[in-house]
Amino acid sequence: MDFHQLWTIFSTPDNVPIVLLLFVVPFYTWYGMRQAFANDRLIGQLEADPALAKTSHRKVEPWKPGWAKEVHVWPYLLRIEFLAAIIVTVILMVWSITLNAPLEEPANPTLTMNPAKAPWYFLGLQEMLVYFDPWMAGVIFPSLIIVGLMVIPYIDANPLGNGYYTYKQRKFSILTFLFGFIALWVSMIVIGTIIRGPGWMWFWPGVTWDHNRLIFEVNRDLPDLFGIKTSIGKLIFGAIVMGLYFVGAWIGMHKLITRTPFNRKIYSRMSLLQYSVMQVFMILMMLLPVKMLLRLVFRIKYVWITPWFNI
Amino acid sequence: MTDQEKDPVVHSSLSKPLFISSALLLLSFGWALYDEVYGTRPWKGYEARFAKVYSKFLKDTLPNELNSETQIKDSPEYKDLDRQMQAAEKAVMPQVAEIDHRVNLELVPRALALNEPFQEVRGHVGALTYQIEISKSESSKESMRKEIEELKKEVHTVKLPKADGSIEKLPMDFATMDKTLQDWKTEKATILQKRVDLLKPATELRAKRDKYLTDRVSDVSADTLNGLRNKMSTFEVGIRQIHVKDVDLVDRCESCHMGIREPVTLTKAAMGGEEAFVSHPDRELLKVHDPEKFGCTPCHGGNGVALTSIEKAHGYNEHWLWPLHAKENLEAGCQQCHSQEIVTEMAPTLDAGRETFRLRGCMACHRYEGFDRDPDDLSAVNQDIRQLTQQKAEWTREIGFSTTKGDNTPDNDEAQKFYQHANDLKVRISGIDAKMEQDDDRARSLVREIKKVGPSLKEVRMKMHKEWLPVWLKDPHVWRPGTKMPTFRLDDGEIRKIAAFIWQSGVTGDLPHQPAGDPEKGKEAFETRGCMACHSMGEGDDKQGGTFAANLSRVGEKDNYDYLVRWVHNPRQRTLPYCPFEKKDITEADYKRAGLPFVFDTEHSKCPNDGHELLVMQMTPMPSLRLSEAEARDIASYLETRKHDGVAYANADYLDDPNLKADGQFLVRFYGCAGCHEIAGLEEEQRIGTELTKEGTKPIERLDFALLGHRAEAEGWYTHKGFFEHKLANPAVYDQGKEKAKLDRLKMPNFNLTKPEIDQLTTFLTGSVDPSIPSRYFYAPADQRRDIIEGWWVVRKYNCMGCHQVHVGQTTVFMTLPRYQDPDWKDQRPPTLIGEGARVNPQWLMGFLNNPSLTEKPDEMDRDGVRRYLHARMPTFYFSDGEIQKLVRFFAAMSSQAAPYIADRLEPLSDQERTMARQLFSSEGAPCLKCHATGDPKHDAHATAPNFLLAKERLKPGWARRWMLDPAMMSPGTAMPSGLFRPEGDKMVFAGPTPASFNGYNKDHAQLLVRYMFQFTPEELTRLRASAGAAQ
Repeated sequence: MDFHQLWTIFSTPDNVPIVLLLFVVPFYTWYGMRQAFANDRLIGQLEADPALAKTSHRKVEPWKPGWAKEVHVWPYLLRIEFLAAIIVTVILMVWSITLNAPLEEPANPTLTMNPAKAPWYFLGLQEMLVYFDPWMAGVIFPSLIIVGLMVIPYIDANPLGNGYYTYKQRKFSILTFLFGFIALWVSMIVIGTIIRGPGWMWFWPGVTWDHNRLIFEVNRDLPDLFGIKTSIGKLIFGAIVMGLYFVGAWIGMHKLITRTPFNRKIYSRMSLLQYSVMQVFMILMMLLPVKMLLRLVFRIKYVWITPWFNI
Repeated sequence: MTDQEKDPVVHSSLSKPLFISSALLLLSFGWALYDEVYGTRPWKGYEARFAKVYSKFLKDTLPNELNSETQIKDSPEYKDLDRQMQAAEKAVMPQVAEIDHRVNLELVPRALALNEPFQEVRGHVGALTYQIEISKSESSKESMRKEIEELKKEVHTVKLPKADGSIEKLPMDFATMDKTLQDWKTEKATILQKRVDLLKPATELRAKRDKYLTDRVSDVSADTLNGLRNKMSTFEVGIRQIHVKDVDLVDRCESCHMGIREPVTLTKAAMGGEEAFVSHPDRELLKVHDPEKFGCTPCHGGNGVALTSIEKAHGYNEHWLWPLHAKENLEAGCQQCHSQEIVTEMAPTLDAGRETFRLRGCMACHRYEGFDRDPDDLSAVNQDIRQLTQQKAEWTREIGFSTTKGDNTPDNDEAQKFYQHANDLKVRISGIDAKMEQDDDRARSLVREIKKVGPSLKEVRMKMHKEWLPVWLKDPHVWRPGTKMPTFRLDDGEIRKIAAFIWQSGVTGDLPHQPAGDPEKGKEAFETRGCMACHSMGEGDDKQGGTFAANLSRVGEKDNYDYLVRWVHNPRQRTLPYCPFEKKDITEADYKRAGLPFVFDTEHSKCPNDGHELLVMQMTPMPSLRLSEAEARDIASYLETRKHDGVAYANADYLDDPNLKADGQFLVRFYGCAGCHEIAGLEEEQRIGTELTKEGTKPIERLDFALLGHRAEAEGWYTHKGFFEHKLANPAVYDQGKEKAKLDRLKMPNFNLTKPEIDQLTTFLTGSVDPSIPSRYFYAPADQRRDIIEGWWVVRKYNCMGCHQVHVGQTTVFMTLPRYQDPDWKDQRPPTLIGEGARVNPQWLMGFLNNPSLTEKPDEMDRDGVRRYLHARMPTFYFSDGEIQKLVRFFAAMSSQAAPYIADRLEPLSDQERTMARQLFSSEGAPCLKCHATGDPKHDAHATAPNFLLAKERLKPGWARRWMLDPAMMSPGTAMPSGLFRPEGDKMVFAGPTPASFNGYNKDHAQLLVRYMFQFTPEELTRLRASAGAAQ
């Protein structure tokens, strides 16, 4: 266990946001979920007692007699925000005093740094380059992520959960978010920061980042495993496999969406277009973990090889 | 309502968290302020401390210095000077006062008063003139001209003050005013000059008095100290920076190192133990490299702009590419600009590093720009010759075409053009011929100039006992500690193969059988002829002599006597010449085929097969001492006795096993042996190592620390310096822990360098950088300094400094030998060459360097041309013409002599003068011929100075006179007496009793002797000798 190496990684000024991320993201997830579960209990209480539901109560806290139904923004909200602003200011000041901007040596065009890492917020994209070709990982997927995020309000057919925390009423959305953001995006940033060392090789935490490290890893293309040699054959084979994945994923996702009566209700409110768009984005999103699995565990480089792009 | 039921949103109080976080905010704000003002500006503290300790230092030192100053002022000499000065001043005081009165009370105030109305009119006239110039109408021009006339005629009443304070009123027009003013100005200038002349004696005396004081007050005068105190009393804290605009250099080093350029010497102790405040240790160096022009970091490294921490300012943080040079590698900074030099003044460590790099043969494997450039030069010259030949052929063809075209053109003018073109080309071809001739000469020179670090291995069969070879290869440093040859990490198999190849590749030839010599005489000759300037003898603490060449303590164990005799007699003699064109050794058979005698030397250096220049000498810098055969035999016999007793060498018959040869050749090539040795079949091998010219700025990622990278980082030597030091101490260090096949391992052999040597080489290598400053800062002078740079390469190449002092403060090997400590032997040390350029005629020096025996007769070669009384002898180096030119120019430049040299024309002696000089020459007071050689063998046995017959050709008259006046100044400890002459008025006269004929002679006596010496003839010498003999 190379603690010096660990310390080097964690103490680099560049990496401070990621170290912070490691603690802050789980905390706020937990904190948000706690509130959501509390509200779910309240919802259960109100659903069980229609009389109570009719009395004055707040959306976010269990009902207590004598509490006003609504409170004023000033001072009750603003004073909390003011407090938060002070605390954030203190944190930022201390941070800026103690850690300087991480300047390095002048760029040398004849010498690339190793590992060459993108800024932390792009490390997820850089990590994607391991699994897809640059065209997919660098252009197509980032665009799809943005479009996908923009599309969410238009395909969300669930009217519940506005303005209060709830898990029960938005299980699908919350799970999708947690998967897409934490399981994929954040964890890829963490991998890119802490795990990827010289040569973009996989170093478990505590393993020395050795520039001379050599590993034996043969990555094969899926068509090669099936003995397909011609490029046209590879193109067709890949298209078939991808098609199969698409169909399988569609069906699986459909099963998942229509599992509970609540979800079936929401599903029935969606138009075909809304549903199809959602399915496409879900399937494309799932492509990443599937490909990571293929690459990291089965050492498969590409599935679908075409002259224009590789997946 | 219970507390639990209270609404937390409405009822909970936030005052506590608000208070705490506000307090934290305030604290962090305070912290930010502190950080801004002091935290990131540590130099402020330095400046405040400096102001304190420095002021205190000035206060404490001032009285002491003043005391010594008062003492001097009280001394009778000073008082006397002061009195003289006062008296001189007093003597002229009335006149001076009169002048001062006239100037200060009359001329100046009156001129001022007159100037005002004068300027007014002049201004008006000037404005009107301008109007005339721009006016378009002739009539208005005319009217304005009239106006000017009137203005000039107008009479003004001028009020002029008088000396007594009253006012004088005078009417004046413009012309009068102008003239009066001019007159006054002239008068003022005249009488002020008169004042200066009057005061001149007093001023000179004052300067003399002040000089008397400053000569005796150490370091600084009270005035300087007072000035410094005043400066410190108005001290302000602020960033001190040097900004060199044309290189964008900003160095703020002096914000902390405030004492660096103070005029007083500040030591650590004086500055309260604060090392940062000391003054620069080498003021001379700062004078040459003015910080205002050079800054600090170009020499020292570090980050000149950074001020936030010591670490950052010194560039010790990661990512700063030019960290401050460590103390032991300080001179690395010189190399950046002084990269053309082998010797840089004031940089002894760097010089030693370069010398080690050269002498130990680093440059035989590693290319380094400037080092060992002769082979590169040779190939460049050959390339040039090829190109010129091609060009010549092309033009010759074109001449033919052009002529034909001219013949075929009907138009006469047109035809003339073609003929003209053809003629032009012919002229240009003649230019090519001249250039090719020069190139040929240069090539011939270069073939002579190429030297190898190690001996030729072609001669190995003639030279060695074969049993010795494997023992040597195993570890040369065991057999001969400190030898140049490094230890290769060879296993026994490799040693067998390499030894076999070397043995079998050796050439064979006739070696005359030599009778035995006298080892006793040989020992004496070895110790006195000059061998020990390069070679050392004795082992361990008994080692004596130079380190330039091998230690010869065990040479008797390895060498054949017959070969040794040949080598000592003339080390450049080869068994077979080598033809670089055919790339093979030329044998007797080749000569026979061409019908030529088998003779090859510098005169006969053309290949019998193809006419190309042959390599006719061994590529060793070892010169020929022009010993007689007998003496060579004596020395060789002596060397043969130098051996360890009872050392048995294992049988090595396998050296003749032909099966080993091919593998051996592969290994010899693989390990780069041909870099240092001449080896048959491998003469044209290239260097096997990496180029080191810019190794100091190679990105650290490209230096292969291998498995030691992490350890280096943890231990703080993940730097260039660390890499070099570890590699030099143990060249295999970066193989540690590596799984490698034998041939994949690092090849660099172990030189067994000492710690100082490692420091020197590290200094050299860390200084070998891709320069970060513009090339106009490089030391690349075009004047005589260029000759010095080039000359040093030759001086170092042949180890001139083993025998001669070439620059001030240098120690020769002779000065360290015990024998030469004896007063009788001190005169036997080779002469110093400091000032050689001023001493000798360059034309003569050229001839002398070419042939130091100064004779063409073969039987007289066994002597020194100038100082026959010396046991040590100036050897024949077989310099190339280029090297001789460089050396002569070097000595001229070292003594700031103009080139080419034009001899002073000396006035011929009158008969009377000749008699006088003759008498003085042999007088009691100046028995010149007692020490100077005369050519009489009996007398010369005790002579300790050169023959006067040489003077005319050899010396420069100016030097000869200076030498006679004070030889001890030029060469302390010389046998030539000083004080032979004393000044009398503006000439020098003989200090001893002069012969009667000198009465009434009013010319310079020393100059008389010089003139006499420079027309000296053998007849004159005989005559003198006879009279001296008669006197005795």
